[in-house]
Amino acid sequence: MTQHLYLLSLIIFLPAIGAMLLLFFNRKAEEAMRYFALMVTAITFVLTLFLLPAFDSSKAGIQLAVSVPWIQSWNVNYQLGVDGINLPLVLLTSLISLLAMLASWSIQKEIRGYLILFLLLETGMLGVFLALDFFLFYVFWEVMLLPMYFLIGVWGGPRREYAAIKFFLYTLFGGVLMLIAVLMFYFNSTPTDTAKLQGHVAELAKKDAKDLTAAEAKTLPVLRGLYNVENAKASPRGSFDIIELQAIGQGLAAPFLGFNRTLQIVAFILLFIGFAIKVPVFPFHTWLPDAHVEAPTPISMILAGVLLKMGGYGIIRIAFPICPLGAQYAAFAMVLLGVWSIIYGAFAALAQTDFKRMVAYSSVSHMGYVLLGLAVWKLNENGTVGKEYWEMGINGAMFQMLGHGISSAGMFFMVGVIYDRVHHRDLNKFGGLMGLMPLYGGLAVGLFFAGLGLPGMCGFIGEVFTVISAWNYNKLLAIISATGVILTAGYILWAVQRVYLGPEYKGPHGEAITPINEREAMIGFTLLGLAIFFGVFPGLMFDLMGPSIKQLVDNMDAALTVSPEVLKTAVGG
Amino acid sequence: MDPKTGETLAKLLTAAWLLPLLGFAVEIFAGYLWSRRSKAAAYLAVGCIVGAFLCSASALYLYRQLPTIPVVHHEASHQHGKAGHDETKPVHGEGTVVAKEEEHHTDPAPRMHSFSGTHYVLAKFSNLKISIDWYIDSLTIVMFAMVTLIASCIHVFAMGYMSEELTEEYEDHQVHTSHGHFSRPGRFYKFFAFLSLFCFSMLGLVLAGNIFLVFVFWELVGVCSYFLIGFYIERKSASTAANKAFIMNRVGDFGFLIGLMIIWTSFGTFQFATRTEADGQKQLGLFDMVRGADGKLDLQDEPGKKAVLLTDDHDHPLLAADGTRRSIPYILLIGAGLGVFAGCVGKSAQFPLQTWLPDAMEGPTPVSALVHSATMVAAGVYLAGRFYPMFVPEVQLVIAYVGAITLFVAATIAIVATDIKRVLAYSTISQLGYMMLAIGLGGWAAGLFHLITHAFFKSLMFLCSGSVIYGCHHVQEMPQMGGLRKKMPITAYTMLIGVIAICGLAIPGVDVFFGGVAAKLGLPASFQNVMSEKWAFSGYHSKDAIVATAMTYAQLNPLHALLFILPLAGAGITAFYMFRLWFYTFAGKPRDQHVYDHAHESPWLMTAPLILLAAFAAFCACGGEKGFLFTMLLGSEPAHVADGLAAGATSKLALPSHHQIHDNHATAGFYALVVAAVGTFTAYLFYGARQFKLNPSEVQSRFPWLYTFLAEKWRFDDLYDVMFVKPVHIVARWCAATDRLVFDGILHGACRIGIVVSHWDRLFDENIVDGLVNWVSNVTYGAGSSFRYLQTGRLRQYVMFIVVGVVLVGGFGLFWLMLRIRPS
Repeated sequence: MTQHLYLLSLIIFLPAIGAMLLLFFNRKAEEAMRYFALMVTAITFVLTLFLLPAFDSSKAGIQLAVSVPWIQSWNVNYQLGVDGINLPLVLLTSLISLLAMLASWSIQKEIRGYLILFLLLETGMLGVFLALDFFLFYVFWEVMLLPMYFLIGVWGGPRREYAAIKFFLYTLFGGVLMLIAVLMFYFNSTPTDTAKLQGHVAELAKKDAKDLTAAEAKTLPVLRGLYNVENAKASPRGSFDIIELQAIGQGLAAPFLGFNRTLQIVAFILLFIGFAIKVPVFPFHTWLPDAHVEAPTPISMILAGVLLKMGGYGIIRIAFPICPLGAQYAAFAMVLLGVWSIIYGAFAALAQTDFKRMVAYSSVSHMGYVLLGLAVWKLNENGTVGKEYWEMGINGAMFQMLGHGISSAGMFFMVGVIYDRVHHRDLNKFGGLMGLMPLYGGLAVGLFFAGLGLPGMCGFIGEVFTVISAWNYNKLLAIISATGVILTAGYILWAVQRVYLGPEYKGPHGEAITPINEREAMIGFTLLGLAIFFGVFPGLMFDLMGPSIKQLVDNMDAALTVSPEVLKTAVGG
Repeated sequence: MDPKTGETLAKLLTAAWLLPLLGFAVEIFAGYLWSRRSKAAAYLAVGCIVGAFLCSASALYLYRQLPTIPVVHHEASHQHGKAGHDETKPVHGEGTVVAKEEEHHTDPAPRMHSFSGTHYVLAKFSNLKISIDWYIDSLTIVMFAMVTLIASCIHVFAMGYMSEELTEEYEDHQVHTSHGHFSRPGRFYKFFAFLSLFCFSMLGLVLAGNIFLVFVFWELVGVCSYFLIGFYIERKSASTAANKAFIMNRVGDFGFLIGLMIIWTSFGTFQFATRTEADGQKQLGLFDMVRGADGKLDLQDEPGKKAVLLTDDHDHPLLAADGTRRSIPYILLIGAGLGVFAGCVGKSAQFPLQTWLPDAMEGPTPVSALVHSATMVAAGVYLAGRFYPMFVPEVQLVIAYVGAITLFVAATIAIVATDIKRVLAYSTISQLGYMMLAIGLGGWAAGLFHLITHAFFKSLMFLCSGSVIYGCHHVQEMPQMGGLRKKMPITAYTMLIGVIAICGLAIPGVDVFFGGVAAKLGLPASFQNVMSEKWAFSGYHSKDAIVATAMTYAQLNPLHALLFILPLAGAGITAFYMFRLWFYTFAGKPRDQHVYDHAHESPWLMTAPLILLAAFAAFCACGGEKGFLFTMLLGSEPAHVADGLAAGATSKLALPSHHQIHDNHATAGFYALVVAAVGTFTAYLFYGARQFKLNPSEVQSRFPWLYTFLAEKWRFDDLYDVMFVKPVHIVARWCAATDRLVFDGILHGACRIGIVVSHWDRLFDENIVDGLVNWVSNVTYGAGSSFRYLQTGRLRQYVMFIVVGVVLVGGFGLFWLMLRIRPS
């Protein structure tokens, strides 16, 4: 456990340490600082790669788990771990951070401050994905917010203050809703009848392992973990432990402890809004285009590549498993919002004249697939209908997050490359870039096709899997979501035509157009290569995620079918 | 029979499939570094595709060596019902031989083997699995041979045609910039790279063993087509055409996707064939689940709940988890069929998505020959054929009508088109309509037969047109041509072969004569078969088969007589516009002396492929329905086609059987021939004959509205612009405005309210709260200073205060106690 503790802690805090060390650099040594920061992100990436051999992908559940008491009086623990759900996202985060750092050479202003904030941001992001204590999660969530605010607000475009404040307010609002839910869980995870529970656990503990019934075998570790029976410290206290809260929410600690349906629904709605802002889901999405347009290129890459994924991750890690009844209650609304986001985002993208804004709206559209895939939980009076289709939907949603992380980061980078040269983003004032910058044009078109969902590239798998799994849930919504493929092709091809094709460049600063340099080409090739690689071998990711997602689906299904009354209410409601 | 054969075939075809991909990967990267004058990319591409052809040809040879599946007599099994089939139904498996049921009555053509297997798994969720599968039957092999052969010819042709790109400074005369002329480095390598990528995608589409994988390659050929149509990226018309092609295909793919959803959710698999996995688990294929061994649907016909019961490959019923029989509602089966067919409509440019194909002629001519006539656009027909067992008669009716309307509409437009490539493009659409019609009418083998013959003669004609365009220095308008046969004889006469082939002309009587001779001479039976067929090029045989099917269908379903009339009329129109094209271009006197003077025959690199393709266009269907090609295809015909379908069995519609079609064959062939001859003769009167001088422009001026209507392509483009393109842009603008005005408006409003509230808050704070506090403090201060006078420092006074205080407190205390003690 100790070595895991060190590894995971190092992954999270190495960037922060790097940020501190940057303070000791000479203010003039800008190149040195850049290389140092690059090295830090590179080492972080390599460290995250070490997680792969340590992780057994055939097993579900948390591995490499570590827990160290942090604030004991509130039962807050420094608790980390990986499973098939967060591991791919951790890898994505460290990779995109590395590439974004490589793309940061275009930043000229206040390098030291930029790099420090960038590295702190990376710590926050990795922390969010690795934290398994809700309090810790919340802390990292807020830690991430502030650097982002300054990165947009200081290094951004002309309307940077507006965009930064908008981003900050939205995210903070979501954070507050999440905090309410955190406290709701905390104060409701205190058992009422401790003595009885202690007796029950002691009785169960006396039994031979093979005498336990299946239900008892499942609940015993939960109860034991909750009340620390062995140490006889069974003092009633709430819990921030996400895994414990999941067990309570799924009814594994019943009858002593559980979150009732009302609580779950209220908490779920709070959490969902909090995470939906981050995803972003219609109608909480308008911060995104502004933030993207104003943010500097590398920050846009991180924003699209990683930050949006936190919303999806929060839903799948926290909102769903802790509040299965709430999730079921809200499933239809979620699917509806997902489909609506797909279509609405695509339409809005079609109408944009700002290149970056168009890509930003494409993110709204693409993240709609994530929500759609997550929520296709169909129920009838006998329980879940077509569980494997829901499993496929969640897998597809997870894959869509990864695929979008790669393709949208690539698209934003490609916009940034041309913006760095000609300093405008008006779609109608480009043209002919394919002839002027052939390598750049090729890479860009490749990445845009990845975003378009071309088979053989990462965007396709996520999009099609989520859409196909939706038929089982609701035929009409599935059909509407499928129209997204036409609209997506429309706005992407139209943009490609206006920017890259045609005989000549039509905008200002034509003289500044130079072929892309090696650093830029390297980023482009890496992203395009990954987009193709995961498009051709998606099985690698599905193997990694599959067991954990299957367990999640099984647990949530079991939570709902635990008693006929619950199921009946759920179906009726 | 060697079970290894299947694996060998798979290896050969996989090699043929992946070779062009290898070529692409090398060409696109190395080509960027190579000199613009280097032909290395072309050599590599040709090497790869010829290698692929050799692999496919070996596979074809190997496949022919397999003994056909012996005919098993089914009398016993008929008596014992379905159970009897178990003995004769072979087991499917990876690399093992799979046989299908043979027909019971008419068809002497023996069944052929099919093989299937998996390369690797893409994703697995519980019991759902999506993988890279392959499926090989005679259709796959024929398609492979056809695609690789034609692609090889076209690659070689393109080496000549695209040679102008072998330069650092290619001047594009169709592009105008603000500085006047436009020139750019040549893109020779890029062309061959995309061509290679296309071949890979196309072969992958054919080899795919499940419908999902077909969809994957479906989109990939689409994107290759996008790159190739838009090859001249500087031309606005080219990039717009490329976008149009891709987006219209996506409209079809939207339907395809819905079909996939239905299939996936209803069956839980995408696989075509049943297969036993390496771990011994059996994966049922779609076709076995829907249809029994005899190819019949197991219908559960309750009113309002018509459904098809699913069975396994031994016709045992499949059970759901709750013990009831698994079934799929009939309406969903129709939906799945229509969905997949919608994809075919897009890809094969059928009505109502046909408008992209003529615009696709913006691409270089070799692309039009390969992608937009011979292979990719035929993929829709291929898929309709491959997916045939999933189609119910209602879906087939839709297919047939779509095909019939398409073939007629496109043929009428071709009459007035003057661009040589556009005439060919409309003729392609029209011929694809024929194929779809055949599939819809139950003429499975006829439709695919026409696919193969059409691929040869149409690629030939496109290459000929390419040769003309190349020889005339990029003139494409036929009114500027004329008399070119003297300048480019090889092109002209190979083209004539293609024209005759597509028109389906034949010399009557010859068959009887030669057949008799062959019988007299005692030649082998296969020779006799060939000799006793009509003396005609490939198109005659395949079109004949389609018309015969249409005629039979119309007899069985008199309500749908249009499905016979339209193709018959189409045959005449086809002959007319094709001969019009030939006469216009090659016969008569030069209309534009300048063009004529500079015209020249193309180099051998380009004419050699023409001659080879002409040979195939002429003789690939040799022997007609007894010939090699047709029997090969027939070997993979779905089991239920041969017997046809009686009206009322599945639905009200009847489908013709082989036997019925055979009876009509001679009559239908005669009609078709007469109509084609009339069309040819009319074209000759208008455009060929000097003595009659029928003037086409006179006819035009007689019917100006009709001419404009046709010349404007039935106004589909305008209609779609008004119906779809403009509304989409309007909705898009609404969405963007909603974001800006409504959501941001709400946010800004909230912020403004916040600011106002905080402003009030400040006023409140400063005036009222502070005022209150100040008042309190003032009062306190005042009280304090008043109380100061009490603090006298005199001890006696203090003692008196204490005493008074104690007395008061004691008094109150006593009073309170008395109140409490009082009995209540």
